[in-house]
Formats: sequence, structure tokens, C-alpha cells
Amino acid sequence: MSFENPAISLSARVAELNKRFQNTDTVEMLREITSDPAFGKLALISSFGADSVVLLDMVAKIDRALPIVFIDTEMLFHQTLSYQRKLAKDLGLQDVRRILPSREAVLKRDSENLLHRYDTDACCTLRKTEPLARALTEFDGWISGRKRYQGGARMSMDLFELDAEQRIKINPLAHWSREDLASYIAAQNLPKHPLVAKGYKSIGCAPCTTPSGTIGNERAGRWRGQTKTECGIHFGNNAPARPVIPRAVIVTDEGFETEDWAAGFHSFASLATLPEQEKAALAIDLKGDFVAKDLLPWIGQIDLIRVSFPVFSDGRGFSLACQLRLLGFVGRLRAKGHIVADQYAMARRSGFNEVEIDQALARRQPEPVWQARADWQIRDYQNLLRQSA
Amino acid sequence: MYNYTTFDKDFVATRAAQFRDQVQRRIDGSLTEDEFRPLRLMNGLYLLLHAYMLRVAIPYGTLDSRQMKALADIADTYDKGYAHFSTRQNIQFHWPKLQEVPDILEALATVDMHAIQTSGACIRSVTSDHFAGAAQDEQADPRPTAELVRQWSTDHPEFAFLPRKFKIAVTGSAQDRAVTKFHDIGLRLVQNASGGPGYEVSVGGGLGRTPMIGKVLRDFLHREDLLPYLEAILQVYNQIGRRDNKYKARIKITLHEHGLEDIRQRVEESFALQRARFDGADQDVLARIEANFKPPAFKAASTSRFETQRANDPFFNAFTKTNLHPHKNPDYAIVTVSLKAHGATPGDASSAQMRALAEIAKRWSHNELRVSHEQNIILPHVHKGDLPEVYEALRLAGLATANIGLISDLIACPGMDYCDLATARSTNVAQGIALKFDALKQEHSIGPLKIKISGCINACGHHHVGHIGILGLEKGGVESYQITLGGDGTQNAAIGKPTGPGFSADEIIPAIERLILSYLTLRHNASESFLTTFRRLGPAPFKVTLYPAKENQNEL
Repeated sequence: MSFENPAISLSARVAELNKRFQNTDTVEMLREITSDPAFGKLALISSFGADSVVLLDMVAKIDRALPIVFIDTEMLFHQTLSYQRKLAKDLGLQDVRRILPSREAVLKRDSENLLHRYDTDACCTLRKTEPLARALTEFDGWISGRKRYQGGARMSMDLFELDAEQRIKINPLAHWSREDLASYIAAQNLPKHPLVAKGYKSIGCAPCTTPSGTIGNERAGRWRGQTKTECGIHFGNNAPARPVIPRAVIVTDEGFETEDWAAGFHSFASLATLPEQEKAALAIDLKGDFVAKDLLPWIGQIDLIRVSFPVFSDGRGFSLACQLRLLGFVGRLRAKGHIVADQYAMARRSGFNEVEIDQALARRQPEPVWQARADWQIRDYQNLLRQSA
Repeated sequence: MYNYTTFDKDFVATRAAQFRDQVQRRIDGSLTEDEFRPLRLMNGLYLLLHAYMLRVAIPYGTLDSRQMKALADIADTYDKGYAHFSTRQNIQFHWPKLQEVPDILEALATVDMHAIQTSGACIRSVTSDHFAGAAQDEQADPRPTAELVRQWSTDHPEFAFLPRKFKIAVTGSAQDRAVTKFHDIGLRLVQNASGGPGYEVSVGGGLGRTPMIGKVLRDFLHREDLLPYLEAILQVYNQIGRRDNKYKARIKITLHEHGLEDIRQRVEESFALQRARFDGADQDVLARIEANFKPPAFKAASTSRFETQRANDPFFNAFTKTNLHPHKNPDYAIVTVSLKAHGATPGDASSAQMRALAEIAKRWSHNELRVSHEQNIILPHVHKGDLPEVYEALRLAGLATANIGLISDLIACPGMDYCDLATARSTNVAQGIALKFDALKQEHSIGPLKIKISGCINACGHHHVGHIGILGLEKGGVESYQITLGGDGTQNAAIGKPTGPGFSADEIIPAIERLILSYLTLRHNASESFLTTFRRLGPAPFKVTLYPAKENQNEL
């Protein structure tokens, strides 16, 4: 944002704007914010969905050159695409930017266009959130057509908000009702999305949208059968965070267990200054790039070493574990972090006793998947070559 | 040939079942694509421009008739009736469906084959001399070592998530046909002063965007120290190899940045620890492996039909001049079958051709076949008296092209037609060159010449080691082909030097033609090869012909 006085915090600015425009007519407010240089470069984000035409019509009457960002997830209804072209022509919109997901990312993460079937969140991230984030980098603020009556997290939405990137986000229709929209469309004789006549009141991607039904929440047709209600582009500072339970799961050959180490973990750097009484039960955290021989002075005093794996594709920890064993470490050795079940045998063969994962990973890869590799001692070529039978 | 033990059989069958489960878990979402990617890569499954590609391992390029026939069956059942033999002595199927890949792996397991570690950031399928166990100039058979390395590197728990891929090659001949100087580790079988067997170990060679010639880390390593020494190298690389930039992640860059002496010291330190983990069991395994590679029972028979047919049939005669290599047994020959018919895609073979090769090997080559890194098929043990029949059988299968070592026996990567990394087409250039010189009927008078073509800077077509290398790039939306000269992948390792600005797709074939015509006038005599002439004269006269002055160009 390009507000001049840095002494006034952005959130204070937003509060002030909400107060200033609380009783302003929507078109008037749009005219003011799009002509006020303090707002910097703005874009209207439009899905060209069921009632997008209202905001598009207002903007067209104020400034046809205002950039309009249209996220084409490549999963939209063909009716949405033809409706988009029709509206752009009828309203004379001069700068509609059709944003596509990254070619490379789709090739890597959804080559068969089936991601929506098993992970709708990942699909929205790939096809909506990431492309929008890219498109928004050149703007200082954005205008969205969300309404409070749509329910969910939208019920408490203000006219002005800050998004996660500290950009201003404007919701000019926040206080509009369904009836307000219908009467505006009728009064201005605006074309309707072809699917509205078929019972769709909120229109997203074809695989994840069904007709809404006649009563209840009009977004009920989105991700039907799931708890999901938002695609992710409208999560900001005040967004409801996804629940994350940080409690650790310890995986051993016997299965899932809970943490049994109560004494806490120290860093390697703190070992030199650690009071003697703390060494009675001693555990340390190491990273994969640690030089194993540096631990030699303490190696006999340590009960548990925990090696972190920030990403499962970084295999340094396996070599570190091997070296620690070769240098004579006989205590508990634990791999912690992003280890997948398919790596369990590798971890055990490298000298680890156990693996520590978080609840989210444990939910995705439950106990039986790990237990399937508890047979890590058989089919081991290296062991065959190292030790005579 | 190496015969699978029950341990080996159980391993590959279980691995296929594990992959079936992983595919299932990918489809039901319990594995993310990020997590699945390295698992499928470790099982040879790539995602290319149009579809998946399955790269099946042919360890050190050795296979038997039964296996070749099984590959043909897979090509028919799961692919479009053909397959591609790669520069890594492997075979690639370009159109498998994800759900069918576990079935393919299962079918492979029944003939003791797999796709393990043919891709991914792990130790890749080991390569070796395609004439191993047959060539007259061989000092020691590299195959037992290659098999030992295969077993040791298979599912190695420490080295499945390295900074980048890691390739090991083994040779046992003075004439290095395994390109060992351009591998992450190159092993050369040697003897010490007292005749003890061991290895010269080179490290840090490679092609790609930063070509480097491997450096000798140990000039003599006792045979029984091989595996702990390899573990030491890999352990050092796993820990200090760069993970921040994939273009700087190969061990050649680690070596370049730390220096040979620093790496040697680290490796020796790690080796001292690793050595104690091996109690000699590996040498027992090696002895057992060696017993598998005893020479076949060569027959004693007359070779007179070979000489008679040479005198009678000029086509057969031409074939024997280019496609044979001297065998240890003077009554035998090594036959190289060209997969470079003029105008065809280098390395491609139809299922019918694969079945014909299986049958020919069964009848006339002691059941054995090899795949060369130059994308040809080898019949390693053919009795000279049988050669006329072998030639006839090859001819019927469209496999009797007499061009081994000549200009049309070129290497090309799949290029932009298949690969999502490619910046230019490469097979069309390969076909264009082959057809051009076939039409001119000059191929045999030009003599030995290795042209290698890559469709991007990653150099899968090995252009750096081509006597003439061609690198396809993209400049301002159009293909631009850069020429390098003087590359050599043998024991006289050299990296080709760029000549100057690139040529468009229309200009590249005429440019190669100018280059060849000038060589023909510059050479001392017909026995001076292109590479020798280039080494004698340097690049200057060739640059003149490639980039004629403007006024000359108008006359052309």
C-alpha cells in the first residue's frame, strides 16, 4: 500500500476506512477509491460467477480500464468461459486478465487432472490460490465481490480488510443482500450466468460445484459433502486457521506410541555449559549437516539424539545416523520431522531406533502403513554384503 | 550371465508389490505428489511432456533372450509396440498408464528384471563395457564388479535421497567403452605392482550443463576395499554435496568447489570408519558372482563360410567391415546390431525386432545380448561360421544397417518431441544427417565419426563427447544448433569446444555437410579419422568452412 504516513499502522488505516465509508453508496465508494492515488494500483478479482455481473457493471461505469483478474482454473464450466467473454464485450471491459495455473506446477502436481478427487485443498492451492497470489504481486489492493449473507466466515466481513500480504482488500458488496443483487441485475437488465437458471447460486469449478438447492446457504453447492467452504484465496489475517495438533507420534517397530521422553532436548551448542544435574537424562537435537565427530567428547553421556528432517527428500540425516553409530553412540537415535512411511526401513537400517512425526502426517499415513515396513531387517542387500552368515 | 538367487527374486517381487501399494496410496491421497515423486522415480517412472515414461534397468547392459522377449511383450501389451534403448544401457517405454505400471513391474520380476533406481536422486543403475567378457582387448571382466555394485547400491538406506543422481561405470579394457571418465565414479580394473587385483577410482566426471572430466581419487584400491571406499565417497557427497541449487548438486561441483585434496582427505577419514563394517562377506558374494560369468562353451567349427560369403556378397562384406569387433576367441566375432537405420529414430526398436533379436541371440549368440550406451544392440558371442545366417536373419528384421562407428551411427536424445526439458528437436537433425550422407553415399569413405546430439543443455545426447557435438537451444523462440568439435568419451577424454554462433534448423545439416567435406580435403589420407585430423589441425580450418566470409556466402 502506498499510504504516505508510516506512523499510522495499516490496521488503523483500515479501521478508519471502514468508518469513513460505512454509510457511503457502493458506486460512490468505488468511484472514490479507484480515483484516490493513496490506494495505489487496484484490481477487481472476479470469478464471472452467479452475481459477479453487479460489481463488473459498476466498475465498467466508473473505469473500463480497471484491471480485472479472472482466475481460470482450467476446471471451470464452459458456460463460465463463454459468459466471461460475453460480459467483457457487453460491458466494454478493457483489461480482463485471464490467469492460468503454472504449466510446470500442473505437470508436476496434477498431470492427470484428478487432484480434486483426493485433495481439494491441494487442487485449490494449485489452480486458484497460487495463480492469484502471482497475479496480485503487481497490485497494492484488490476488490472482491463477497457478501456477508453468504454465510460461514464471510458473515463477519468488513468493507475493508488486510490480506496476509498486508495488501488492502475491499469488499464493496459486503452488506448487500440477495434481494439487493437481484434487483440491481433486473434494473440494469444485465445478462445472467447461464447456470443460474439451472439452480446454481454459487459457481466455482465444474468438478466441485453442484446446484445449491432452493433453501439454505447458497454456497452449499460448493465442495458438497466436505467441511470445506472456502477455496483459500479469501483466507487472510482473520481467517479461520486450519486446526493443527502439534502432539508428536513416535513410530517404532511396534507401531505408534506417544512421547515417553520427559526431560526435554538441548542444542549441541548448549552442551558445554550445561549444569551437571541436567546431564542425568540427556537428549540433544541435531541437524542433518552436523559433523558427527564433533560430538565425540560427549558421545558416552547422551541418552537420546534427535536428528531433524525438515524435508523428506533431504537424506543427510541417514548418513549422520550411520556415522554416529560408527563413532560409538549406543543410546536412542530418533529421526524427527518429515519422514514418510516408505522411508521407515531406511531410517532403521541407518541406525535410527524410532521416528517422530506430527499428527497431520500420522493421520495421512496411519499406523498400518508404517507397520508394513517393520520387516526392515529382511531383503537387506547391504547386510548380506557386510556380514558373513 | 548373472543368475538371480532366491534372495534377488524375492527382492524384486516384493519391490513390485510395494510399488503397487504406493500407487494405490497416491491415488487415495495418503501420499502427496511431492512424496510420491521420488518413490516413483526410484522405480523408474518419469513424468514427461505427454505421458509417463518407464525406464527399465538393464544392469550393465546385459540381458538374455528370455528377457528381451519379455520386453517385446511389454511393448505390445502396455505400449505402442516399440521401445527405446537409452544412452544409459536401459530401455524406455514411453506410454504406460500409471495404474498399469505395477503390472509391468510384476511382469519384469518374473524374468528377473526391474526398474529400480533408473532415476531419482540415488545411485543409478550401473553401466559397463558392452563388449565385456567378449572383447579381445579386455584385461579383466568388469561384469562381476558391476553386479556387486548393483547389489550394494540397491535400496541402500543411506543413499536414496542424495543431493542429486549418482552414476557409476566400470571398465576392464584399455579401450574405455564405458565412458568412465564422465561418470560420478568411474572404476577401472587394474593390477598393482605385485599383480594384485584392484581398481583405479575416478570421481567427479560428468556431462550436463557443466561438463567435467573425472579425476583420479585413488590410483590403486585393493579389490576387497571397494564397497567401503564407495560408501565413504557417497557418505561425503551425501553430507557436503550442495542441496541449494540443483545445477550445482552433482559431485563434480562438490569436487570442484572443495578441491581434490580436501575430498580425498574426507573420503579417507570416512573409509577408515566404514572399512570395519565389512567382514569379507562381500568377497564371498563376489566369488559367487564371478562363477556366473564363466565364458560360454565356445564351439569348434569351421569359419570358411564367413570368408566365402564375404567374397560373394558385397552387402555382407560391408556389414562385416563396420559391425564386427574382434572376439577373445579368434573363431568368434562380436556383432553390433545398428538401431540407427537411416531416417529412423536412434535407439528405437519395434517389438518384432526385439523378438527377432531374442531369437537370433538364442540360436547364434549363446543366448546373450547387450545394450550399448551408443544405443545399439550387441550379439557378444557369434561364431564366424554362423555370421552369414545371422546377417540374413537381421536383414529380414530390418536390422542389418552397416553403419557402426560411421556418421549415421549417431546418438540423439528424444528432444522436444518427447521431453519437457528440451529446448530444440534432436531426432529430426539425426535423421536429416543420416539421410543426407546416405544419399551422398559418402558414409564409408568418411570413416569413423561420432556425432552426438542433445536437445538441451542437460546433454542427454552426450554432445560434449561427440567428435562433432550438436547442442539444440532456443534463441528468441527459434531453434538454434550449436556445434562443438573434438569431444572424446574414451580414455583420451576430451570435452568438445564450441565453434561459434549457432545454426537454425534449416542451416544445421548444410553446416555439417560443409564440415565433413572440408575434413575430406584436409585429411592426410583415408585412414586419418576426423578426430585425428581435428587434433592435428585444431579448430581453425573447420571454423572457416563453418562460417564462410560474407562474399563467399553469396556465391554458395
